Amino acid sequence: MYVEPGTHLMQGDEAIVEGALIAGCRFFAGYPITPATEIAERMSRRMPQVGGVFMQMEDELASIMAIIGASWAGRKSMTATSGPGYSLMQEGLGYAIITETPIVIVDVQRGGPSTGLVTLPSQGDVMQARWGSHGDYATIALAPSSAQDMFDLAIKAFNLAETYRNPVIILADEVIAHVREPVKVPQYEDIEIVERRKPNVPPEEYIPYLPEPGEWVAPMPAFGDGYNVLVESVMHDEFGHRIGTDHAAAERTIKRIYYKIEKNVDKIAMYEKRYMEDAEVAVVAYGSTARTALRAVREARNQGIKAGLVRLITLWPFYDRLIEETANQVKAIVVPEMNMGKIVREVDRASKGQAKVISVPKVGGVLHHPDEILAAIKSAVR
Amino acid sequence: MASQVKVQQIAVSDKLCKGCYLCIWACPWDVLEISEERNWRGVKKPYAARIEQCRACRLCEWYCPDFALQVIVDEKEERELLEVEEKYEKPWLERIRKRDEIVKKGVWWLED
Amino acid sequence: MLPEAEFEHVLAKKYMRTEIMPHAFCPGCGLGIIERMILMAFEELGQEEWDRTVFVSGIGCSGWTPLYFRRDAAHTLHGRALAFATALKTSRPDLNVVVVMGDGDSMGIGGNHLIHAARRNIGITAIIATNMLYSLTGGQMSPTTPEGARTNTTPYGNIEPNFNLMELLRAAGATYLARWTTYHFIQAKNSIKKAVKHKGFAAIEIVFQCPTYAGRYILNRPDPRDMMQWFKENSVPIGVAKNKSPDELKGKIIVGEYLHRTDRKEYTERLREVEERAQGKGR
Repeated sequence: MYVEPGTHLMQGDEAIVEGALIAGCRFFAGYPITPATEIAERMSRRMPQVGGVFMQMEDELASIMAIIGASWAGRKSMTATSGPGYSLMQEGLGYAIITETPIVIVDVQRGGPSTGLVTLPSQGDVMQARWGSHGDYATIALAPSSAQDMFDLAIKAFNLAETYRNPVIILADEVIAHVREPVKVPQYEDIEIVERRKPNVPPEEYIPYLPEPGEWVAPMPAFGDGYNVLVESVMHDEFGHRIGTDHAAAERTIKRIYYKIEKNVDKIAMYEKRYMEDAEVAVVAYGSTARTALRAVREARNQGIKAGLVRLITLWPFYDRLIEETANQVKAIVVPEMNMGKIVREVDRASKGQAKVISVPKVGGVLHHPDEILAAIKSAVR
Repeated sequence: MASQVKVQQIAVSDKLCKGCYLCIWACPWDVLEISEERNWRGVKKPYAARIEQCRACRLCEWYCPDFALQVIVDEKEERELLEVEEKYEKPWLERIRKRDEIVKKGVWWLED
Repeated sequence: MLPEAEFEHVLAKKYMRTEIMPHAFCPGCGLGIIERMILMAFEELGQEEWDRTVFVSGIGCSGWTPLYFRRDAAHTLHGRALAFATALKTSRPDLNVVVVMGDGDSMGIGGNHLIHAARRNIGITAIIATNMLYSLTGGQMSPTTPEGARTNTTPYGNIEPNFNLMELLRAAGATYLARWTTYHFIQAKNSIKKAVKHKGFAAIEIVFQCPTYAGRYILNRPDPRDMMQWFKENSVPIGVAKNKSPDELKGKIIVGEYLHRTDRKEYTERLREVEERAQGKGR
């Protein structure tokens, strides 16, 4: 039923599908778009095999609403798209946030704006992943940088979505989606999977948007369970009732959906440090750029420069403390990105002036050459 | 023209009636009339001025958009109505009655 | 004698969230009547059907309609009700999924989802409440506004013809179609009953009175009673309409059961076939 434990040669797009299925994903809706099409194609073959539903929808607006609907029907659900489709999904993303629906969205980034560089990679959507939909909210975004990551983070994304009842975005890019690499699938019993918490009180006592004291989200029943739940896109109170002009209730709702992510950043944030023990220059990178950055760091070490790499796996919520610690340790932070400089703003803010922050932007649909990052590292220690 | 059916009450809710008078339009037997006085919601409710003409055809009920009006023919129907209230409605009202109390107890994330 | 201060109709007590009533509709609004049609249909279908029914709605006055029912209900985004409902149905084929939509949800912003739901023939009951304009935003032109009508966005008269929803859906592949007005209470209720039981995409258009905007701007009848009277006088049963010329039918509402097909397979049944094929059972 699932891909067998052991090492397989897999494309990134394939690995994410197999990870999602093991995580319990049983509904996929999508619309073909380069470079995320392989995800939909593999899902269409694999989903019915495991008793799930695959649907090719009429557009991305429908795809995201469909996975939200499936989530309320009790199924873990996912969609995959690229920049133009992800832009369309922003309205549905907001709906998932206000209704606290766990879903996973894969955005395989390609060059933009608009139709853009269809077959070439980019990291241009990182800010959209945080701020794309209107209003105040928080999201979780993960950035894989290998096929193995695609597999692992798919499972992680579903776990986070269920834990916080929030959409989770996997920000892959064209390189990671199409790279073919060995992927190690662990024994199933070693894989941690978070299942949805269902209410255990009688329906008359269940309050759909009021968590127990000390908890952030309430348990979530499925449609048809008899809990008569109101899934309300209008600003609502704890009961799901429209509140009109009740500012206090609106404040409670908005602050909870915001804080449940931002105040749990310590639990959500994942990162990887390489050569950082004695580093004097840090490269902060994510996604496929982190691979190039690692090569540049090794090259710098060969030339006697104490460089290190901090790879951000969780992009949002942004882990300020990690950057602050790094800034206190090193003289300079180099931030290579496949965009005109986006996460570098967050790094600059979080480092609080403790280290020089150097942006290494790259646009046009090509990865950095390691020498470009190396040059920035060298300029930092000069 | 007196009816064969004897209707006990045509109840019109103070809570729900908005005074659109579709019930008066719908009634083929000229039973209902607009009252002179406004109730506490400011609505001049319809009332059964000529209840003896009512044949319990319930057209007024059907065309009432606000679920505000009901023809209650006899005590049996009244009893049934109260049973429905007890069984279906009451259990759900409790949590709303305690709304403020529940919300206050549950809302801990605003405290720093 | 029952006291009238907090009185509610027995259907409301049984099926509705009376704690949030009276509902937000204007006095005389037809959406309340559509709610009652739905509830009476389920009262006749029985508790068992009601217990496995869920509601989905879009945005607009019509979007509030099922939120007053004490059932699982989703108030989705403008136009996206059918996308949400499609996934609900495919994930839980045992549920009755009833979608209530308005002009914009069905033919405006949500038009694409409507034709694709009909094309798939997914087992959803779509109750499409049309009132000739957009009411929640204050009386603007909608896809059902008659040609020539003055609204807040067509101050010089509407130059666009209105949609014929029934023909649109027939072409798209829907398998049950009916159109009624709020005046046709019994007929609409019976159609809803049939549609809930129907295997396939069933759409019922119910033209309802909006005295506040359609009444004032389009029909020049701001009183709901006059609007109901207008519905009564200007609706032509489909059988009668067959023998009339287009000129005679101008400005009339043709009501009746338009279509009832049983020759197309329902979508979730076909999904089950796909699953069996994928798992190597059957062929």
